[in-house]
Amino acid sequence: MSAAPVLVCTGLVKRFGDLVAVDGVGFEISPGETYGLLGPNGAGKTTTISMVCGLLERDDGDVVVAGRPLTTTSVEAKAAIGYVPQEIAVYPDLTGRENLRFFSRLYGMAPAAATERIGEALEVVGLADRADDLAGEYSGGMKRRLNIAIGLLHRPRLLVLDEPTVGVDPQSRNAILEGVEALAGGGIAVLYTTHYMEEAERLCDRIGIIDAGVIRAEGTRRELVALVGERDRVRLAGSGDLASVATACGALPGVEAASVRDGAVDLIVEGARGLLPELLRVAAESGGLVDGVDVHEPDLESVFLHLTGKALRD
Amino acid sequence: MRSLAIAAVNLRRFARQRANLFFVLVLPLLIVAMLGLVFGATDVDLGVVQRSGGPLAEQLSDDLGATEDLAVVRYEDESALERAVQRGRVEAGLVVPDDYTAVLEAGGTATVRWIARPGTASIQLRQAVEAAVARQGTVLRAARFVAAEQGGDVESRLAAAATVAAAVPGVDVEVRPADETVAAGDLGQFDLGAATQLVLFVFLTSLFGAPTLIEVRRLGLSRRMLSTPTRHLQVLLGESLGRLAIALVQAAIIVVGSALLFGVAWGSPPAAAAIVACFALVGASFAMLLGSALSSDQQAGALALVLGLGLAALGGSMVPLEVFPDRVRTIAHVTPHAWANDAFAEVLRHGGGLVDVLAPLAVLLAYAAVVFSLAAWFFRRAVTG
Repeated sequence: MSAAPVLVCTGLVKRFGDLVAVDGVGFEISPGETYGLLGPNGAGKTTTISMVCGLLERDDGDVVVAGRPLTTTSVEAKAAIGYVPQEIAVYPDLTGRENLRFFSRLYGMAPAAATERIGEALEVVGLADRADDLAGEYSGGMKRRLNIAIGLLHRPRLLVLDEPTVGVDPQSRNAILEGVEALAGGGIAVLYTTHYMEEAERLCDRIGIIDAGVIRAEGTRRELVALVGERDRVRLAGSGDLASVATACGALPGVEAASVRDGAVDLIVEGARGLLPELLRVAAESGGLVDGVDVHEPDLESVFLHLTGKALRD
Repeated sequence: MRSLAIAAVNLRRFARQRANLFFVLVLPLLIVAMLGLVFGATDVDLGVVQRSGGPLAEQLSDDLGATEDLAVVRYEDESALERAVQRGRVEAGLVVPDDYTAVLEAGGTATVRWIARPGTASIQLRQAVEAAVARQGTVLRAARFVAAEQGGDVESRLAAAATVAAAVPGVDVEVRPADETVAAGDLGQFDLGAATQLVLFVFLTSLFGAPTLIEVRRLGLSRRMLSTPTRHLQVLLGESLGRLAIALVQAAIIVVGSALLFGVAWGSPPAAAAIVACFALVGASFAMLLGSALSSDQQAGALALVLGLGLAALGGSMVPLEVFPDRVRTIAHVTPHAWANDAFAEVLRHGGGLVDVLAPLAVLLAYAAVVFSLAAWFFRRAVTG
């Protein structure tokens, strides 16, 4: 028999005036499982997380954490959550240790237990030797790691990480990802939002692909990629009128989606090898100058393109 | 406990910034100096040269020294006294001639020399000297009369006249204020001014907690606190307690410093402490309201200044409430300042204690509760949407 889920959220809805930011989002996370919300900026990830953590009044839906219903005012359920916000929410004029001590008091930890846990959390994020420096003097990556340490402090049953690697150097990013992998191995349920496909593929047991406030698909990486079928992702790198190239290529039979990103046209194509000459011809006729072609096996980027018709980082 | 943790972290952050020491220690001490200079009860110095003028000269000096708010400073010679007056070490000087007693006992007229710079203080000092001379002259005339009528020398009759003069009751003039609000008793004309200035300062300095709250919100710390088992009221209470503690420390420095160093009167200590505490609560609540309702710390700082000075002006901290027409005085009581100033007036003018100011204190507490509730509503809306 599988363990009861740590987080159950159903039918979450949030409106800001006429804008429906989150529309019927629901998912569950079990102990030791890492669930990723993958979507571009503005997809509704942070709004969803804010409702999951009881930081935002929801217009509809339910959130249950560790068996307790959660609202903005329920403190018991919040005790089971470790929240790591997207912004670096630490006091810059306190040391790393002082920041952790402060939040240990808000979590209601006894002083002796807090001292022990602060030491452990600092070790986990690799800040033990800089613990008594002011947080304002940390590098960007170190601040991010302190941000995460605060969320881990009270051994939460659910750790919620909102884009924790944004603006982080590759070394710190790798350290953060390794840390999250280790946490999930230790039995914590992790909710992880990102717009980086590689992070979602590396960390998450299950992934919800979210766009415009709606979860378009959910499953393991294998299950999601299967949605694309035998289709490949073709990337035409080049210059010229790439928007026209995308439009023209998108109209060809066998091309399911086309979008422009980072100086290239991304296409989801059925039978890529056979269609490649035709794609290059149409691109040239549409004013594009193609200087590189990549054909990828389906990945989450392909899934997102397939489901939404646009790239993850449009 | 969680609120105290938030308050403690605020105080730690406040203390860590050196510039803030100016606001906690230096600014209150400047206010103390200002209050002391303007409202303090310091003695005015009178220089006196009196070397061998005899018993009557000595008596005149002693009489002057016993005059309230006047201190006698002895000088060896006239030139030293002149220099002291010129350099402002004393407000004025009196030179008593060496033959002062001898001339008076012989029935002559002694002449003293008055040295002064132009100014109000020297005029007041001259009045004090003239009064002392007049008192001595009365006794001297009585002694001369007795000596003339009954025989004996003036010196021996002087002692008898002085004894009789001390036993004769003077004429008491009871001063009854035409208006209850006029100062009575030994309250200096400016002592209430010190209290109204304190009210202005406490409110203004409390309001500057608003930008701090906005900064905490901007850093995402308020939201993060609310992700822990901490209610939004606890967060707001913690933020306001930190600000309240700072305001109370500042107020304590001002009250104790000005009282000890300059003799500024603050009335009953429990009553004054209660007024300051309740009013600081109102100030902290206002700070939380601004910090919750606004999103720019610059905007909050500007509004704090306008509110701090505007409410103080309307509430009688710049011009006494008594000078306002009745209708304006009624409107002024929309401000918490008016109630705090009323409470201080009761304590300082009528010697009131804690019990006598319960009504204005209750109004101030109600004010704090209403404003804090409003702040809590704005805070929750700002942080949890």
